[in-house]
Amino acid sequence: MPPPPEALSYTLQPLATLSPPSNSRTWQSAPHPNLPLVGTACSDRTVRVYSLTSFTLLHTITGGHKRSVRSVSWKPGVKGQSVLATGSFDASAGIWRRDERGLEEQDYTRRRIGGDGDEGEEEEDDDYQFSCILDGHESEIKSLSWSPSGQYLATCSRDKSVWIWEELEDDNFETIAVLQEHDGDVKCVAWHPEEDLLASASYDDTVRLYREDADDWVQVALLDGHKMTVWWVEFEGSWMTRKDFRAHRDGLTEEQTRHVELSERSGPRLATCSDDCTVRIWHREPKEGTGRASTNTGIPSIIRSMAVDEDWVQEVVLPQRHERAIYSVSWSQKTGMIVSAGSDGKILVYKERWKTQTPNGASVGDEDTRMVENSQLTEWVVVAELFSAHDVFEINHVCWAARSDKGRRSEDEEVILSTGDDGEVKVWVLNELNIGELKGK
Amino acid sequence: MELDKDNANPTILNPSDLPSRHRESAARKREDGGTGLFHDLIPQYNYLSDPFDHPVSASDSDDDSVEDIDEQEIYDLISSISDPEHPLSLGSLAVVNLPDIHILPPTSPYSSISTVLVEVTPTITHCSLATVIGLGVRVRLEQALPPRFRVDVRIKKGTHSTDEAVNKQLGDKERVAAALENGTLMGVLRKMLSTCE
Repeated sequence: MPPPPEALSYTLQPLATLSPPSNSRTWQSAPHPNLPLVGTACSDRTVRVYSLTSFTLLHTITGGHKRSVRSVSWKPGVKGQSVLATGSFDASAGIWRRDERGLEEQDYTRRRIGGDGDEGEEEEDDDYQFSCILDGHESEIKSLSWSPSGQYLATCSRDKSVWIWEELEDDNFETIAVLQEHDGDVKCVAWHPEEDLLASASYDDTVRLYREDADDWVQVALLDGHKMTVWWVEFEGSWMTRKDFRAHRDGLTEEQTRHVELSERSGPRLATCSDDCTVRIWHREPKEGTGRASTNTGIPSIIRSMAVDEDWVQEVVLPQRHERAIYSVSWSQKTGMIVSAGSDGKILVYKERWKTQTPNGASVGDEDTRMVENSQLTEWVVVAELFSAHDVFEINHVCWAARSDKGRRSEDEEVILSTGDDGEVKVWVLNELNIGELKGK
Repeated sequence: MELDKDNANPTILNPSDLPSRHRESAARKREDGGTGLFHDLIPQYNYLSDPFDHPVSASDSDDDSVEDIDEQEIYDLISSISDPEHPLSLGSLAVVNLPDIHILPPTSPYSSISTVLVEVTPTITHCSLATVIGLGVRVRLEQALPPRFRVDVRIKKGTHSTDEAVNKQLGDKERVAAALENGTLMGVLRKMLSTCE
């Protein structure tokens, strides 16, 4: 597909379609936190677990939900087993477990596990076991997400509420908060990568942030800017200033250095996408005298100012190239690039870079308008654009995952997973075009 | 429901006044080249037109090349839907009207996605069934049209007291999907759509 006349410096190449696909709509896919697996939420009431090594179906989780499975999330930080949470239109969430000890030790050569006898029993153990059901929402669960520590599970629903569950011990979940700030369906929940800070996006066009204050979870910020339903919300990875374009500190201007320092003090940003066809990026204004510990251990500062309220501001609207609702946006934890997809069937990849500076004195204005300052210092450009990624079908979800197949070119290489109305999950690699190729076009 | 209709005396159009291809097709196709916006670019769609006007070639039938679908055909698909509270079609109640159907071609040469926009006119401004009617239209078109069509159903501006809220619901894919898994609502929709061929 020839790109529009703009310097697109990457192409998205199809690597695989996970096989066999579902024969009905697939909603969302979640890569496993440490194994080369992906779980896909399907409208046929199942979850399909595929291998990202062979791109084939390993398990189908059935028999739990009575309606579409809308959302799946793997519990992070679990050793020896995989724990999957599923959220369904039947208003319930399910918790499923599978023993993975064999797998981890044997590095995914599944066939060899059967070698140590007792094959009949192994067949049964091989499946994901239903372990418990979380009831409470009044209508469809739209999204769920484990906190990075695995301590909390957040769920959200058309009933306008966000619930936070805490797993006290295996399979004993307690509701620790029911947040009813939104005026409409809550479409998506996401956790901050370092702090117990939760974000939710809604049909009421807003995004809200919550944290615990004296034993109560409370709203600490309201992000108002989208003109229509906000479909997805996701935090930037941890310490991306050390990984993305900002990691190269040599030759930075004073302003740019200050920008990086401020970014590190405010921490991971937030990306949102909407029916209004925009992707927006938001950041937290660092509080006076606080901010994150300068030791840079990645551990959040325990110093907290008196007020829990946080000041989140819109930093930038990404270049607008989608023509219909954008359902999903995702940050790469490796490169800081952003991918988005939606109803128009397109996949777009964006990259942030330093804006070419006009010579000294051009940075006008107000010391206080950091938002303006930021937008002057960096800019986001579309680096890849793919039409009809799922033929004529809508794309419901897109995310990054570690590349795990034999063709992997580096330790850090990532693939993009797109999940569509056609029931397919597609795997894409991002190839950089070399200058010669660009000029040839 | 029978006892408490929102509009007990709707205006009903005479069936012979409803727009139809049968009387118009020959003349219209000759004169203005059809109403399809990309009529000239793609092969004629033969399915509903007069077989003597455009003979169907044998190889055409299972060809999945892009077919011409025009506003009249969209109208034919949805005008026969029954009103949920009257034993009448949406066409005869003037809830759906040919001039309020628009087909928008792909916005880019790299895209094959077309958009169908249908504006429905509820029979009275506070008709509580507007959402159900809109949903019926959306479901009918999503089931009948090839997947390259995106279907946008809206309440015609100024005809309904809560049109913005209804439009937002009808445009929400996730809500529509969940509604279709709701047995009660599906029962109502099935009844409405049972009068479509």
